[in-house]
Amino acid sequence: MAFIQAVLDGLMIGGVYAVISIGLTLVFGVMGIVNFAQAEFLTLGMFVAYFAWKFLGLDPLIGSFLSFAVIFALGVVVQMTLIQRVLNAPPVAQIFVTVGLLIVIENLTLITFGSDFHSVTTSYQTSTLRIGPLFIGVPYLAAFLMALLSAAALWLFTNKTWYGRAMRATAQDPMAANLMGINADRMRQIAFGLGVGMTAFGGAVILPYFTVHPTVGHQFVVLMFTVVVLGGLGSVAGAVVGGFAVGVIQSVSTLFFPIQLQNLVLFIVFLTVLAVRPTGLIGASR
Amino acid sequence: MHRKGNGPTDLADARPESSENRISETCETKSPATAPKGLSRLALNRRHFLAAGVATLATPYLSKIARAQGSDVNVGVVVPLSGANAQFGVNSRNGIQLAADQINDNGGIKALGGAKINLIIADSTSTPTNAATVGQRLIAQQNVVAILGAYASSLSLALSEATERRDVPLLTMSFSDMITGRGFKNVFQVISKATTMGAAQLRGPAGVAEKAGKPLKSIAIMYEDTAFGTSQAGGLRATAAELGIEVVMDEAYPLGITDVTPLINQLRGTNADAVFPCSYLNDGVQIIRTMRQQGIDMPVIGGAGGYVIPDFRAALGEYAENVFSVAPSNYDLAPELTDAFKERFGYFMVHEALEHAVCLDVLAKALEISGDTDSDALREALRKNRFEGGWAGVIPGGGVDFDETGLNTLAKPIIVQWRGDDLVTVWPDDVAKKEAVWAGK
Repeated sequence: MAFIQAVLDGLMIGGVYAVISIGLTLVFGVMGIVNFAQAEFLTLGMFVAYFAWKFLGLDPLIGSFLSFAVIFALGVVVQMTLIQRVLNAPPVAQIFVTVGLLIVIENLTLITFGSDFHSVTTSYQTSTLRIGPLFIGVPYLAAFLMALLSAAALWLFTNKTWYGRAMRATAQDPMAANLMGINADRMRQIAFGLGVGMTAFGGAVILPYFTVHPTVGHQFVVLMFTVVVLGGLGSVAGAVVGGFAVGVIQSVSTLFFPIQLQNLVLFIVFLTVLAVRPTGLIGASR
Repeated sequence: MHRKGNGPTDLADARPESSENRISETCETKSPATAPKGLSRLALNRRHFLAAGVATLATPYLSKIARAQGSDVNVGVVVPLSGANAQFGVNSRNGIQLAADQINDNGGIKALGGAKINLIIADSTSTPTNAATVGQRLIAQQNVVAILGAYASSLSLALSEATERRDVPLLTMSFSDMITGRGFKNVFQVISKATTMGAAQLRGPAGVAEKAGKPLKSIAIMYEDTAFGTSQAGGLRATAAELGIEVVMDEAYPLGITDVTPLINQLRGTNADAVFPCSYLNDGVQIIRTMRQQGIDMPVIGGAGGYVIPDFRAALGEYAENVFSVAPSNYDLAPELTDAFKERFGYFMVHEALEHAVCLDVLAKALEISGDTDSDALREALRKNRFEGGWAGVIPGGGVDFDETGLNTLAKPIIVQWRGDDLVTVWPDDVAKKEAVWAGK
C-alpha cells in the first residue's frame, strides 16, 4: 500500500515536472538552443500568478493562464531581441546569452520584488481526497490535472494546427520551411514564447503548495535538465515520460533509502539510462 | 546544473578595490531601504561600461565619505543579500543598521572621542566561498575593526576562517556548534549553539506537555541536511534519550526539497506525539500544509529558521496558529527596543535582526571599554567582560558573557508560539509573556 501511495505521489509531482520541462525541450527542439534561464521563467510565472492572486483575487489555477500569456509575450520579446542574434553563433555564445539572462532575471526580481518569500492562501490548500487508505492532496491533484491539460493543449497545437505544423517544419528544416512560405523567425518567436510560457504555467499551478521567491528556480533547474535529458532532448513526449519517471523515482526511492538520498537514486537511474540509451528514453527524434 | 552565483559580483570581488566601488558600498550602508542596494549593485556590475555615470551618481555621497574618514570606526557586515538566504540577510542588515544609527545618534563611541560607527556592508551571496572572499576584502581594504555576520552557519563558518587568519574579531548569531567548537580565538557567538537550541526545542515543549497533562512519549524529527539542521537534530536526539522519549522518526532531507510528501507519509505511519522539523521557510510551510492536508494535527515545534518570521504566518494563515518554535530571542522580550524596528521597517523585529543588533551593541560596548580599535585589545575586552543592558540585555539569560571559546555562556533558548500575527514567548516561565497552548493528545 505504501508503494502504491508512493507511486501516486510520484505521478502527481511528475506531471508538474513534465510541464515545467516541456518548455526547455521545445526550445531546444525548434532552435537547437539550451536555455539555461528556463527555470527563471518558472520564477517569473509564479510571481505573475502570485500578484494576480494578491491584487486581482485570481486563484493561481486561473492565474496560471495569465502567467502563460504574460510570459509568452515576454518570451517572444526575448527571442526577438536576444536569442535571434545568437541562433547561428557558436554554442559558447548561446550559453553566455542564456546564462546571462538567468543572472539578469534573478537579480531583477530580487531588486523589484525584494527577497521576501510569497505564498498564496486558497480554500482547497489543505484539503485532501481519501480513497481507502490512499491520500491525494487536492492542490497536488489540481496541479497535476492542469499540467496534463496544458500538455494535451500543446500536443493539439503542434499536431492539429497550421502554426504547429509550421513550427515543426521549421524545426526540421528552416530553409525548406522558408521556401514553403513559412516565416521561420515568427515560428521561432512562437516556439520560444510557448516554451517559457509552459514553464511559467507549470510554476503558477504549483503556487498553491509552493512558496515563491527570487531564487525558487534553483530548486527545479537540475530536475528540469534531468527530465529532458532522460526523456530525450528535444522530444516533447520524452519530457512527459521523463517527468513522470523522475517524480516516481524520487518518491519510490524514499521507501528504500533515506529521503536525503532521493536525488542520488535519481541520478544513478539517470546515468544508467544514458549508458544504455544515450538518446534518452524516447530519443533519436530531434 | 549548479547555481552560477552572481557572476558579475564575483568578478568585482576578485578585482582590486577602486574608488567607485568604495563609494557605492558606502552609499549602501547609509540607506535604510532596499532600493538603493539595487542601484549600487547595478553600478558595481557595470563599472567597466559606466564608470563615468557611476562617478556622477556617487557625487552626492562624496561628502559622506569625507566625513567617514578620520576618526570613524569601520565595522564590516557580511550578510547574504542575494541568493537563497537573501531575505534573512536583509533582515540582519536592518537590525544592524538600526543599532548603528542609535549608537551614532547618541554620540558614537565616547572612548574614541565620539567616533561614529561606519558600517561597510558586503553581500556574501548565499555561497560560503563568497562569504570568505568578501570578508577578506573588507579586512584588507576597508580597515574594519571587526566583522558581523553572516546569518547562515555555513556562511559564518567560511567567513570565520578568513577572520581568524587575519586576526579580526567576528561576532555572529549563527547556530552551528562548529562556530565556537574549533578553538578559534577571534569568533564570538552571542547566542546558544545548535545542540543547546535542539535540547531546548524538546525540553521546553516536553515541560509544556507535562503541565497540560499530556506528557510526550514519542516524537518525530525531520531536518534539513545542512550545518544548521544536522547539529540541531543532534541536540534533539540526545535530549530525547536523556528524557526517555522515544524517537519514532529521524529523517534528514536535502535542502531545496521540491516535494515533502514522502516525509509526511512517513510521519503519518509513526503516530508520534509531536513533530520537530528543523527547516527554513519553504520546506516548513510545505511540511505543515501537507500534514494538515492529511489530517495530521499533532503539535509542531519548529527549529527557528523559517518558523519565526512574519512570512510563515502570511503563508499558512490560520494553520500557523499555535505552532511552536525554539528561538534564541524574541521581540516581545523588549518591546521598548524592538518597536523602533517595526516602526522603521514595517514588520516585527525578527530574531536574526535582533541578535545582529546585539552583536553590534556588544562590539560598541567593548570598544568603549578598550578605548582602542587594535584587535588584541578589542578581543580582550570582548572576552573579559560581561555585557548587560541595551540590546545585549535582550538575549534571554540576561546578557552576553563569552567563555574561552567565544560562546555566550548566559544565553538560554526560549520557546515561542504563534498567536494571530504575533510570536509570543511561552517558555521558560520566568520570561514567558503568555501561557503555552498544548493541543496534543
